[in-house]
Amino acid sequence: MKPKTVDRAEAARQKAFTTQALQRNVNVGAPPRSGAFQEKCRSQPTQFRKFYERGDFPIALEFDTKGNKIAWKVEIEKLDYHHYLPLFFEGLAETEHPYEFFARQGVHDMLEHGGSKILPVIPQLIIPIKNALNTRNQKVCCTVLKALQHLVVSADMIGEALVPYYRQILPILNAFINKNENLGDGIDYSQQKRENLGDLIHETLNAFEIHGGEDAFINIKYMVPTYESCMLQ
Amino acid sequence: LNMAAAAADGAATAATCVRPKAWSEQVEDAYRFQLAGYRDAQEYRSVRGSDPERWNGSGFIKKLERRDGSFYYFNKVRECADKEVLQCKLYH
Repeated sequence: MKPKTVDRAEAARQKAFTTQALQRNVNVGAPPRSGAFQEKCRSQPTQFRKFYERGDFPIALEFDTKGNKIAWKVEIEKLDYHHYLPLFFEGLAETEHPYEFFARQGVHDMLEHGGSKILPVIPQLIIPIKNALNTRNQKVCCTVLKALQHLVVSADMIGEALVPYYRQILPILNAFINKNENLGDGIDYSQQKRENLGDLIHETLNAFEIHGGEDAFINIKYMVPTYESCMLQ
Repeated sequence: LNMAAAAADGAATAATCVRPKAWSEQVEDAYRFQLAGYRDAQEYRSVRGSDPERWNGSGFIKKLERRDGSFYYFNKVRECADKEVLQCKLYH
């Protein structure tokens, strides 16, 4: 029977927080990485991808346009927002073309023309938004943040309706709020293209505060302690 | 008879076609129609039988129905980029 081999680092970690760790010749090594900022891949495809491949979405799938429009088979005003809007938000977690394009454009079009139909669907959007942000993928997070900025201005009272859900969607923003590169006197082109995560998070939190009512700032501050108000108090 | 036929055919044909050099609201309208597969508002009206829906504030086109029955939705603000302006056609 082969003896069980133990990794040297693992052996060193086993000595941590023991009386042996206090001995002079024992080196417990560095603590293991927590993976807080590491991208987390999804174990299974999103519902959006499954529905898209089955052809269940009311969108025409040909590519005869200049690349930035989707053709809707059914008028958006007649769509069931309770069914489709959460699915499109779930598709924001996709990174491959054409899924991410259709999800992004679909969310944009539905928010632009939803009006009063969006507010009742807000509770169903929180889980897809949280799951998309939890992937910790830079592009996905940027897409979701832009969608959130559009969401709070798409209709009345949506900002206030989002306040109770800050504790579910803001923790990941707290992790990446300082993700800005120090380029010295260089030009940050990602800022121009709105792909700088730190700045996008600040913009999104500002939008939340402006449209979230009186309780918005204190709730944001609770989840993101380094955030400062953008409104004159 | 020729003049009557020409008047009836006015919806389908135009006398001149000009490429714009700079953006204007007319160019924006033409861009949106041509993206949806129509020449201009006149052709849209002759195919669809009604004027397109427009945004309240800016007056730009909001929704167009394509020839295959699907719908295109447009933003309230300008969508035609400067590089697309030269690709548009204005018919008179």
